[in-house]
Amino acid sequence: MESISPARSSGYDQSRRKRKKKQPSPPPSSSSVQKWRSEKQQQIYSTNIIQSLRELRISAAAADPSAKLAPPRGGGRAVRDAAYRSLAVTARGRTLWSRAILSKAVKVKLKFRKQNRPRNSNPTTMVSITGSNRLRKRRATVLRLKAKGLPAVQSKVKLLGRLIPGCRKQPLPVVLEETTDYIVAMEMQIRALNAIISAVSSSSAPRTPTPGTGHDGEETHMLG
Amino acid sequence: MSGRRSRSRQSSGTSRISEDQINELIINLQQLLPELRDSRRSDKVSAARVLQDTCNYIRNLHREVDDLSERLSELLANTDTAQAALIRSLLTP
Repeated sequence: MESISPARSSGYDQSRRKRKKKQPSPPPSSSSVQKWRSEKQQQIYSTNIIQSLRELRISAAAADPSAKLAPPRGGGRAVRDAAYRSLAVTARGRTLWSRAILSKAVKVKLKFRKQNRPRNSNPTTMVSITGSNRLRKRRATVLRLKAKGLPAVQSKVKLLGRLIPGCRKQPLPVVLEETTDYIVAMEMQIRALNAIISAVSSSSAPRTPTPGTGHDGEETHMLG
Repeated sequence: MSGRRSRSRQSSGTSRISEDQINELIINLQQLLPELRDSRRSDKVSAARVLQDTCNYIRNLHREVDDLSERLSELLANTDTAQAALIRSLLTP
């Protein structure tokens, strides 16, 4: 159930048009949803993640030249981190959650490398990344929500904010927007991972004539 | 009394994001959820229900990504030559 070229081109044109109009705050709703469902985005993501997986394997092989296989326990986590990082990169930094994932990765790298470097470099990068977040927060806390100030809704939105990276202290509308984009991006990620897995398993198994997209009738994934 | 009314009108006038927009965001969210998408009573689904189902759905997605990445790491650990074939198969349109 992949979207075909007409949907892909319309999503691309929409994003172009919005950029020309110079809207102050591009709402990440329908255009981003279409974008994540397009074939092109999935290809971009697949390229990114394959590249990071290659780097993973090279680093793992260099660390353990004697052992030929990567450790299965740590390997899963490394693959998952690579998957999320590639997803955040594919998002091109337009959403909070993608920026949070990338800044988390940068923080870990800096902590790992830093023994002598002072910690002053960290706050500056964080400020540049979260600069827009502060503006957003100020603007949204002025308003008063009437019926949506229900404690039930508020607590659920807080739960949601904890699930999505980078949204713990964000106001309600921001969390809702981020959730929408995050869900569609995750669905694409799952589609791509399934495609990669079926491609790898079909290439290692004895050759059977399979179609190019590798969409098996997997029962484990809930989509489609 | 009238002061309170005028104040409330002012706040709703100057607020950037109104209640209707929030409702719309929640409806968008509802469209994404597989359970609530084909629900017959699409008007009567409460916001709290949508949010709760969203939390559950996101947790399921997280779990699924974890499972898939475990499988992928095992596959990659066991097959070396598959990598070249994989890259070739995915990068050629």
